[in-house]
Amino acid sequence: MSLKLKALLKSPWVFHLSTGSCNNCDIETLDCLTPRFDIERFGMLLVGSIKHADVLLVSGSCNRMSVERMKELFEQVPKPCLVVAIGTCAGSRGIFKDSYNCPVPLDKIIPVDVYIPGCPPKPEAIIAGAVKLIEKVGGTL
Amino acid sequence: MIRREEVLLDFTSRFHADILDLEDKSNTRVYVNITPESIVKIGTYLFRNVGARFNIATASDLPPNIEILYHFLIEDINLLISLRVFLDREKPEIESLAKDIEAFNWIEREMSELLGITFIGHPDPRRLLLADNWPEGICPLRQDYEEWDQTADRTRGV
Repeated sequence: MSLKLKALLKSPWVFHLSTGSCNNCDIETLDCLTPRFDIERFGMLLVGSIKHADVLLVSGSCNRMSVERMKELFEQVPKPCLVVAIGTCAGSRGIFKDSYNCPVPLDKIIPVDVYIPGCPPKPEAIIAGAVKLIEKVGGTL
Repeated sequence: MIRREEVLLDFTSRFHADILDLEDKSNTRVYVNITPESIVKIGTYLFRNVGARFNIATASDLPPNIEILYHFLIEDINLLISLRVFLDREKPEIESLAKDIEAFNWIEREMSELLGITFIGHPDPRRLLLADNWPEGICPLRQDYEEWDQTADRTRGV
């Protein structure tokens, strides 16, 4: 594992991007930061700018308008970066598979490291996904 | 304090020539079928004179017609009046209310791009929601919509 990635995993800063989600995944993501779950104790912090982020958290079904913005954001993330797909929409487009406005699934556009299924996933599932993400790239919590 | 019966009586007597059908659905809901030519007259009257709030307009493609419902809410008596017009599916055209009332502007733009309804005299008939590379003249919410994007992937992806 590269030194950069190892340093990144000590406190992965997260940028949260909604590509046309119904907001449930976004609410559950924010729930992780509330005192009950408090994911910040693992060093995970929600940041306001993509240029400070290590992890790109994508929710929503990638509609035609937001995909262009997502590509631009992905170009701006400092590499190496990790991508997490939150919810069924980001994972497989869910019920929007045949929608006129959702032509291509997320993982055909940018490489996705971890999928967190659920509609919406519980905060526990999101935390489990974060643990898996860290384990996947070889770190320990 | 105006009453529900007074409002409806005044409304029907004023526009009896344009009203095709009136369906008194419930205490708070009235559907009025009107001729498409009279929408500006009746809509403006409800908005300006009766003091109704323009709630929203909804359109749907129900062959053989395209129908638009303009929902006006009179808050004092909690009455929702839905004006319903039936348009020709081949050439859906109706007079725009956005010329006069700003609240109709965006919803008419949305109906125009998603269902292909032409609003005659709309002050700003640009697109509202669809992507920039969406081809002209294809209406996604029509019943006969077909996939145009050859690059679209309709598999699950994962």
